[in-house]
Amino acid sequence: MSKPLKKPDWLKVPYDPKAVNEVASLMKDLKLNTVCNEANCPNLGECFMKHTATFMILGSHCTRNCRFCNVTHAAPETVDPDEPENLARAARQLGLRHVVITQVTRDDLPDGGAQQFAECLKALHELCPGTTVEVLTSDLKGDHDALDVVLKAGPDVFNHNVEMPKELYSKVRPQARYERSLDVLRYVKETYPNVLTKTGFMLGLGEMDEEIDVLMDDLIETGCDILTISQYLQPSPEHYPLQRYVTPEEFEQYKERALEKGFRFVMSTPLVRSSYRAAEAMEGAKESRAE
Amino acid sequence: MEKEIKMPRLREEMKEGVLCAWLKEEGESFKKGEPLYEIETDKVVNQVEAEEDGVLEKQLVEEGDVVPCGEKIGEVRVDE
Repeated sequence: MSKPLKKPDWLKVPYDPKAVNEVASLMKDLKLNTVCNEANCPNLGECFMKHTATFMILGSHCTRNCRFCNVTHAAPETVDPDEPENLARAARQLGLRHVVITQVTRDDLPDGGAQQFAECLKALHELCPGTTVEVLTSDLKGDHDALDVVLKAGPDVFNHNVEMPKELYSKVRPQARYERSLDVLRYVKETYPNVLTKTGFMLGLGEMDEEIDVLMDDLIETGCDILTISQYLQPSPEHYPLQRYVTPEEFEQYKERALEKGFRFVMSTPLVRSSYRAAEAMEGAKESRAE
Repeated sequence: MEKEIKMPRLREEMKEGVLCAWLKEEGESFKKGEPLYEIETDKVVNQVEAEEDGVLEKQLVEEGDVVPCGEKIGEVRVDE
């Protein structure tokens, strides 16, 4: 096993143990999971200090085993019927104005978990009126009916991550399919044009610059509005090996390139994650659309 | 009042951490929210912030030491 690369200065993050514990215990009390915790997110300290979090529904066990991801791959758990209401209560208690809900991939469920998303949206609309909601879904096996169930429940933003260029899928995300993810984004935009669509990918997995170019072109072709570009951070020595740390300057160049290609809003820095400062991204895209 | 600083458990599954750097010298005072020391985890370097105003009395581990979670790494004196 090769020695881990030395972490650059731009990967230093603040950590306030007290604030982190407050949010963590609220989630525990309400039997909720956050992707912040399950994915070992580098921004957990910053976000929990601001009392914001991204809910992860349908358990903490994922039915896929992507080599870049820290979420546990294990037998799926029973769907909790109280989860939608608990999630809405937590959002109200935290005073969230924009809620992001993601999921573990549930290939075992006929609808991939779409109905639980719809229930969460319903609970949030009832308990937290005026709060905007962003869903960050799996590819839901590319099932348009399942996507309809989620979209008809009225999210403001639909996010689905393509994660990396096509060339890396077989090595890093063998259970996902590049074309299927593009189809998901395209279908949602074509069928629900008023919903903002969003996607993200990582750098540092060994991608080539030309591959990123093709990836951006493919995403723009789906009509995607918002793009996040982030540094891959290897969760453990057992995960897919990090190839390199991309500098903040290079991230800025990719951002400019993405904006030139036509994305309405782009977040591109090493520590950006797909739900990082999600309200800001949504507002930015709305303003750009209004112009 | 004297208080111990212990290696924090930043994640449920974390068993030990690397103290990469002290950001305050022995005898140096700090304000609540100021970073006191750095802990490296798999993904990032965490700058752990002070929970109250005080003075760093003792650094009990060296930079680069691997320390089990919950073990004493330093002593601080905080305002009553």
